[in-house]
Amino acid sequence: MHLRFFRRGGIVFVFLLYTVTVAQAQVSDSTAVADSLLIQDLARELGPAETTANPTPVGSVTRNAPTLNPNISMIGDFRAMYQSDVARNVDAQLHEAEMGLQSVVDPYARADFFISAAPDENGDIQFELEEAYLTSLSLPHQLQLKAGKFRSSFGKINMIHPHALPFIDIPAVYVNYFGEDGLNDQGVSLSWLLPNSHFFQDLTVQVTRGPVGGVGVYTHDNGNQLLYVAHLKNFWDLSENATIELGFSGAAGPNELGRTNWLGGIDFTYKWKPLQFNTYRSFTLQVETFFNRKNVGPDARINTFGMYALASYSLGRRWLVVGRFDHSDLPDNPSWNENGFSTTLGFRTTEFQKIELGVRTSSAQGFDQRYQAILRAVFVIGAHGAHAY
Amino acid sequence: MKRFLWPVLLALLVISATPAHAQKKVKVVTTLTDLKSITELIGGDKVDVTSIATGYQNPHFVDPKPSYIVKLSRADMFVTIGLDLEIGWVPPLLNSARNEKILKGGVGYVDTSANIPLLQVPISVSREQGDIHIYGNPHYWLDPENGKIIAQNIYEGLLRLRPEAQGYFTANLKKFNDRLDAKNAEWEAQMQPIKGADIVTYHDQWPYFEHHFGLNNAAYMEPKPGIPPTPSQLAKVIKIIQQRHVKVIVVAPYYRPNAANLVARRTNAKVVKLASSVEAFKGINTYFDLFDYNVKLLVDAFGSAAP
Repeated sequence: MHLRFFRRGGIVFVFLLYTVTVAQAQVSDSTAVADSLLIQDLARELGPAETTANPTPVGSVTRNAPTLNPNISMIGDFRAMYQSDVARNVDAQLHEAEMGLQSVVDPYARADFFISAAPDENGDIQFELEEAYLTSLSLPHQLQLKAGKFRSSFGKINMIHPHALPFIDIPAVYVNYFGEDGLNDQGVSLSWLLPNSHFFQDLTVQVTRGPVGGVGVYTHDNGNQLLYVAHLKNFWDLSENATIELGFSGAAGPNELGRTNWLGGIDFTYKWKPLQFNTYRSFTLQVETFFNRKNVGPDARINTFGMYALASYSLGRRWLVVGRFDHSDLPDNPSWNENGFSTTLGFRTTEFQKIELGVRTSSAQGFDQRYQAILRAVFVIGAHGAHAY
Repeated sequence: MKRFLWPVLLALLVISATPAHAQKKVKVVTTLTDLKSITELIGGDKVDVTSIATGYQNPHFVDPKPSYIVKLSRADMFVTIGLDLEIGWVPPLLNSARNEKILKGGVGYVDTSANIPLLQVPISVSREQGDIHIYGNPHYWLDPENGKIIAQNIYEGLLRLRPEAQGYFTANLKKFNDRLDAKNAEWEAQMQPIKGADIVTYHDQWPYFEHHFGLNNAAYMEPKPGIPPTPSQLAKVIKIIQQRHVKVIVVAPYYRPNAANLVARRTNAKVVKLASSVEAFKGINTYFDLFDYNVKLLVDAFGSAAP
């Protein structure tokens, strides 16, 4: 009796001991964090390692002048243009001045604000909030949440601010389906980095309220119809020098008739940039196609199509040449379409300034052939922006 | 006999239940190959390290490809040179990595510039000066003495993540420091004959190497950092080379040597392609190899140069 109790007790005791030992291993994970902060503090207290004969020069300021100010930048976009089919053929304009304020809010999120000043049709400068959104930094399961006003994640070009594009004129399909300023709306965006260890796959799903005064296929509905956008981005390294991106985009939302407009897009980008001399040479091939289905009646819909294809080549550290072909229907009229061809030559003095000359010719049914030439200067001051790929 | 069964079973169970959570290697992503090499030397078999940049590409202009995000999303530790060297490409990668452990301030974030005695810290900054680095020249890994400080910073990062392996990491750190001291004595001895010599460099990325080995930088091929050589700058450089009898023009592997070759043809100087990072050329596999290669190449270049 005595021995059996001892044996049972022994089993329980051993099990408890085992559990405690394993639990101890888990606990040391979380205390490791506290310890790490302590080690950091201690390192700071103990000061820098013994320096040899070379201190920092006399009169130098502290290493990191700490500041909680956001990264502030200001971008100017100035244009001189010629257009054949308007009353004033030659004109010049400060097309846009855009201020960016970007910073981390706290360990959980960052915020980005972009305020843009641009002349309207009368030439009066109007201020507008281009984008303002909060992005999460620490959600689990590879998720990232964005909330605010932002450019929608449709296709390859919509998210990029125009001054950052390697061409000056926006592809006709974007202008016809989204408007000159692109699809820009207010709501939430959730993106998920798929658990794919072989290649990059990112799925973004967005729900926004519908652009007010939208000039494209989507508009704001006073009822419960919202705008939904989804984008699946797939990216492969073909080699260390070449990559391929394939994206699928979809959008569904209210049109001006209160009915649903469906838009689908496929984008494909091939980029060659030799790793060792990536500042000297690169070649990009990009194609995007849009398929639009506009519901106009109980059983009536209009299906239209648009696309563009571009090739760009860099001729040295500072020169880039881009050629692009556009084809686009109008969302309301599949039998009408326009075609355009443009070429842009860009010169980058440094990362902070570029000058581009774009020449475009386009033809549309019922219109004369149109010729356009635009000279654009883009310049940025302030915080160093990130390079795009 | 049965009396001893329990104690023995107990002992066996305790031994087998010793914390085994550290079996998984620490997944480290570094920005540069030099940091990868040092992390491997300190971390040994407890780390699995990949570098985003290769040793032969320009570390200022690494393209932030989405494929790097996959690696970063799974990393336990991220090691960066800092001082804004990577400011053009690391922030967008970290912002999309969905991995708070490796963000600045996170447990896995290691900035190896901590405690480095910096050179060329500007007193005032303006982009008029070209693409300047406002905190100081960031190419500090090219002084082997700084290798010890880099190793110390990486060591502390590893300790945060695997505190129970402290003994192992400490032993590796000591091995690294001892070997570095021994090799450094060799390198300094080999470089002694050319101490005080003038060199011309393409980009201002060698001050730490120059400082350590007592070389003087007579001129840069770039008129200002980040600005490609202009004809007037080349003329200036040629004059300086002739006046000061400079024997060597140093170019990193990711710059086209056309301008340097032009200058070499007009003068008696030789173009020398030094390794700017580990894996810049075949055979440079570790941080030690980097200096073995560069020291040998420079000494040979000076040796074979016309007097």
